Amino acid sequence: MNIIVCIKQVPDPEGPQECFLIKPETMRVEPRGIPPVLSLFDENALEAALRIKDVYKDEVKITVVSIGKKISNAVLQKALAVGADELVKVEGETFDSACLDSFATATAIVASIRKLGAYDLILAGRQSADCNAGQVGIFLAGLLGIPAVTLARKVVVQGAHVVVERLLSSGYEKVRTLLPAVVIVSNEAGEMRYPTMIQRMEAKKKPVKTWDAQDIGFEGATLNRLVLRRFFAPEMRQGQCRLIDGETLAEAGRNLAQRLRRDGVI
Amino acid sequence: MNRDSAVLVFLELGSDNAVLPVSLECITAGRKLADALQGWLFGLIMGSSVGGAADHARHCGLDRLYTLDCPLLGVYHPETYCPAFLRACDETNPHFILMGDTLASADLAPRAAFALDTGLITDCVGFEADRSGVCFIKPVYSSNVMAAYTMKTKPYLVTIRSGTEDPAQRQHDKGAEVVALAVEIGESTLMVEVLERVLDEQEGPRLTSSSIIVSGGRGVGGPEGFAVLRELARVLNAAVGASRPPVDLGWVPPKAQVGQTGEKVGPSVYVAIGISGATQHLAGMSASRTIVAINKDPAANIFKVADYGVVGNQEQVVPAFTEVLKEILP
Ligand SMILES: Cc1cc2nc3c(=O)[nH]c(=O)nc-3n(C[C@H](O)[C@H](O)[C@H](O)COP(=O)(O)OP(=O)(O)OC[C@H]3O[C@@H](n4cnc5c(N)ncnc54)[C@H](O)[C@@H]3O)c2cc1C
Ligand SMILES: Nc1ncnc2c1ncn2[C@@H]1O[C@H](COP(=O)(O)O)[C@@H](O)[C@H]1O
Repeated sequence: MNIIVCIKQVPDPEGPQECFLIKPETMRVEPRGIPPVLSLFDENALEAALRIKDVYKDEVKITVVSIGKKISNAVLQKALAVGADELVKVEGETFDSACLDSFATATAIVASIRKLGAYDLILAGRQSADCNAGQVGIFLAGLLGIPAVTLARKVVVQGAHVVVERLLSSGYEKVRTLLPAVVIVSNEAGEMRYPTMIQRMEAKKKPVKTWDAQDIGFEGATLNRLVLRRFFAPEMRQGQCRLIDGETLAEAGRNLAQRLRRDGVI
Repeated sequence: MNRDSAVLVFLELGSDNAVLPVSLECITAGRKLADALQGWLFGLIMGSSVGGAADHARHCGLDRLYTLDCPLLGVYHPETYCPAFLRACDETNPHFILMGDTLASADLAPRAAFALDTGLITDCVGFEADRSGVCFIKPVYSSNVMAAYTMKTKPYLVTIRSGTEDPAQRQHDKGAEVVALAVEIGESTLMVEVLERVLDEQEGPRLTSSSIIVSGGRGVGGPEGFAVLRELARVLNAAVGASRPPVDLGWVPPKAQVGQTGEKVGPSVYVAIGISGATQHLAGMSASRTIVAINKDPAANIFKVADYGVVGNQEQVVPAFTEVLKEILP
């Protein structure tokens, strides 16, 4: 069984706000002093793949596909260390994430998947942590003409089917579809496991393919449907914080209640 | 009127079969767009037994309301909703399509964009219309940066974050014309089969409809800490929310999460306990009228957005806070 996991490399989304430098001239956001990491939900997608591999062991081959301007081996090696079998990096100026929308990105991923050949299950994250679009997964399924299940919190392969627990606003539903299929994974699927020291060492020996736009026959940004006009800094809500204190913390808590009541807040 | 520039608003129904507040917000946004373009504003309701919802929505300032009423549309399924939705798009030929940013639209909107060969801008918090067109604004880089997008393709498909606009109010007018559309959908052709639905028992008020929310973060320390918060919530008749770590650590169920990837809420009072105030959390709650923060770190970001605060260990502050509220609240 061939599982493909789509992983994007992004600047650490938990970095402080001042690290996201906006460059109006180039219409880019340049991260300052924060490292690139695996996009958050993509780690959950990889974990979902690993849990399938835990069951079917060597019958499963996990291939990670990552597309970007420059993909760091050190960052993506983490995916190999936790248990992916192979990494495919598709790199080059054309793939600068600021220049491609989700549709163009999905087209590039599909071209890479076709070049790879066989696939049974394709996993993607719910949304990338940089552009926050939430579209690539469904576009992959559309372009490949296979079913897509979104918002997965659990993914199990049963014979020729994949069974997915899918989030609802008030619970979840269990759905089933035939493979090949795309499943789009949410953080409820669980955190990615930690690699051991030995796994980290072994990861360096795992196969890595590096392709460029020509290798996959990718046209580039002409495919875009969205046009980025500008980036700007968000306005922060400015509260005038009234700090309430007291002799003891318990008294501060009591004073807070009195004050909120007096000010008509509650 | 310019028939070419219709705005179509998808009015999603909740489990009570009433139009979601975020969809009413979309009507407000849609009205502004339609006025700017001098075009029509159409609404669309899909579901099963939608009469009540349609009766309400047709008085909320639409020019026309389309309905697709069919038992198979009673619950969201992509393979029934998407074709039905496309049928309505075909009928109305909209220039803009707006929907609330919800779990259902996270599934429906990209499918519709793909089928319509157009682009999609998700999770928008505003728009700007000028002579060169309309730009939609959304948070990117985990809410640390805002981006403005336009589109090369038509229709513009956009999802809107709750709290962006005031919900459209019911007016005392004769109401918009209602047009029932018919659609043929067969259950037998579905590729994705639903085996079972497991719904949570709802205890206490809901996050999205509560006027007070008591929310806890990693600083609450564990499930026992949340028991103390629940007592506070009970006294205030408030819903219980959380930042992401308590969800990831299993202290509270996923639906309690507030923030960029959780619920977007705007209650009259939001009490943040042991929450640092990361941008991704603020993205979900900064629309609250009054924010109260309890945090032991005076430099915590949450105090920058809060209106009232206590600096200190919440384990000592919260029980005393709750005790007094018990005495003074009616
Ligand atoms: C793409 C993306 C999406 C995200 N989506 C969300 C989201 O939807 N919602 C969300 O909340 N987060 C989200 N996050 C995570 C977010 O970045 C933060 O990591 C998270 O909000 C931090 O939660 P916290 O404040 O509870 O924990 P921490 O940052 O660990 O802060 C704990 C706070 O508690 C205080 N504290 C500790 N002990 C006590 C005590 N005894 N008494 C009083 N105070 C105490 C500390 O001073 C600290 O300020 C997202 C992140 C990414 C990258
Ligand atoms: N450049 C990329 N390389 C690999 N996977 C990607 C890339 N961009 C998006 N994806 C996948 O598609 C998901 C949704 O992306 P998006 O539509 O950009 O929010 C991500 O969580 C990834 O799994």
